Amino acid sequence: MRRSLTAGLALATGAILLLDLLIINPSLELLAGGVVELLILLAAAAAVGGAATLAAHHLPGLASGGHDRWDAVMLLGGMGLILMAGLRPGSNGSSDPAVNWLISALLVPIASSLFALVFLFLLGAVRRGLSIGTREATITVVAASVMVILLLPLGGAAGAALATTASWVRDVPLAAVFRGLLIGIAILVSVSAARILLGVGSTDD
Amino acid sequence: MNESPRTDRRAPANAALRVAAPVLALLALLALATLVPPDLAGAALRIESTDRTRANGMDAAFDRLSDRALVLVAFDADLGTYAETRPVVRAAIADLRARGARLAIVSFTAEGRALAVAELSRLQRLGAEDDEIADLGFAGAAEAGLVGAIPNIVPRGAEGSIVEAIRSRGSDLDAFALVLVVSGGDLSVRSWVEQVLPRVPDLPIAAIAPTFLEPELAPYLRTGQLRALLATVPEGLAYVDGIAEADHGRAAAVGALPMLVGLLVALGVMAQSLLAPLVRRSRPDRWRRVG
Repeated sequence: MRRSLTAGLALATGAILLLDLLIINPSLELLAGGVVELLILLAAAAAVGGAATLAAHHLPGLASGGHDRWDAVMLLGGMGLILMAGLRPGSNGSSDPAVNWLISALLVPIASSLFALVFLFLLGAVRRGLSIGTREATITVVAASVMVILLLPLGGAAGAALATTASWVRDVPLAAVFRGLLIGIAILVSVSAARILLGVGSTDD
Repeated sequence: MNESPRTDRRAPANAALRVAAPVLALLALLALATLVPPDLAGAALRIESTDRTRANGMDAAFDRLSDRALVLVAFDADLGTYAETRPVVRAAIADLRARGARLAIVSFTAEGRALAVAELSRLQRLGAEDDEIADLGFAGAAEAGLVGAIPNIVPRGAEGSIVEAIRSRGSDLDAFALVLVVSGGDLSVRSWVEQVLPRVPDLPIAAIAPTFLEPELAPYLRTGQLRALLATVPEGLAYVDGIAEADHGRAAAVGALPMLVGLLVALGVMAQSLLAPLVRRSRPDRWRRVG
């Protein structure tokens, strides 16, 4: 029963949006617009729910005073700071200068620094992966080494040859594998969506 | 012979320092390489950018704009890949400003909004005026937000001459002469082609994307659904080189030396990790016992 309701809703929503794309009709456009508004509200509700769950998960840690207390203080403090800047009386919401300052002066530099460390973490992962000695790790690292050599920023004829080879690798084998994966994923998603809509398959979901 | 308590206390600190030393040395090396001016390396080190086809495509898309044209910059880069596209994005914005375009910046993802705010703040510091760039804010919900913004992209309460110009053209995406999509992993330009182009077929779209999206986006360029695409470092660098003068050198320069240092270190670590088991296996037993 539940599955047929979900399938019905998905089918009706999809049909409305598809018909709106195919047929120019003001009533249909209004209906499709309403559906899109509902989707936006649902996404907003999901985001608020996620934030509330995160806060609820960390609040007990703050109260108990365990070793996770400082993590909880940082997380809840950061959330509180952004919410206060965006929701205080007279604020412009997400475009308020205080929110913008918190984002550009704190959030982006901190997050960018963390992402910059990915380089080091990757090198660490390479060492650990090879120390385990699996064939898959070896193949991955050998392929990565070849690509790193091709991407070396050298000038002159050697650099041009490396760059041409790198472009060929990207445009031919890599693109073929990537597009093959995309086509495979699209077929799988279509099949699984059709199974859900038609109610085909096991009933355990 | 017992070690003193002071030596015992120092031991963990020394061990931690031994572990951290290579990482700190690498960071110091990269920082030093970043400080070297890009011109110093000369012709021996450069990121090859001999093929200007796609850079010319972006130039051609911008050449079609009239003076004071309204351009929407859909800023949905992500923190993980923005370091790769940042010089190109900054150069493209500088190029559009130099051509007299009026820019409106909007984001549909949270990370995109954070990066857009940082870029807007930088542009304000560089002296961008309100009649050059408008902030249309954050329209959440990713693809649903994108579809929802097609009939009305202007948020309630938005003000300024650019906002008024968009409103006078109907507030929808048709108001713009070009959309420049700064693409990331969460919401790529594919969503624009799939969701927006069927609804606004005459909207010209140009895109800047990280390399991993290139195989996915290249077909859209060939079919004409995208007017221009810059999706690899060499393509981006070819474009940046071409318009460097427009920004009076303020666009972030792409130095080859830090990249070379990073790649050589990575290569060294990978080679050492690959060869270490072979070296250990080839050692005679007595060496293995000693080492």
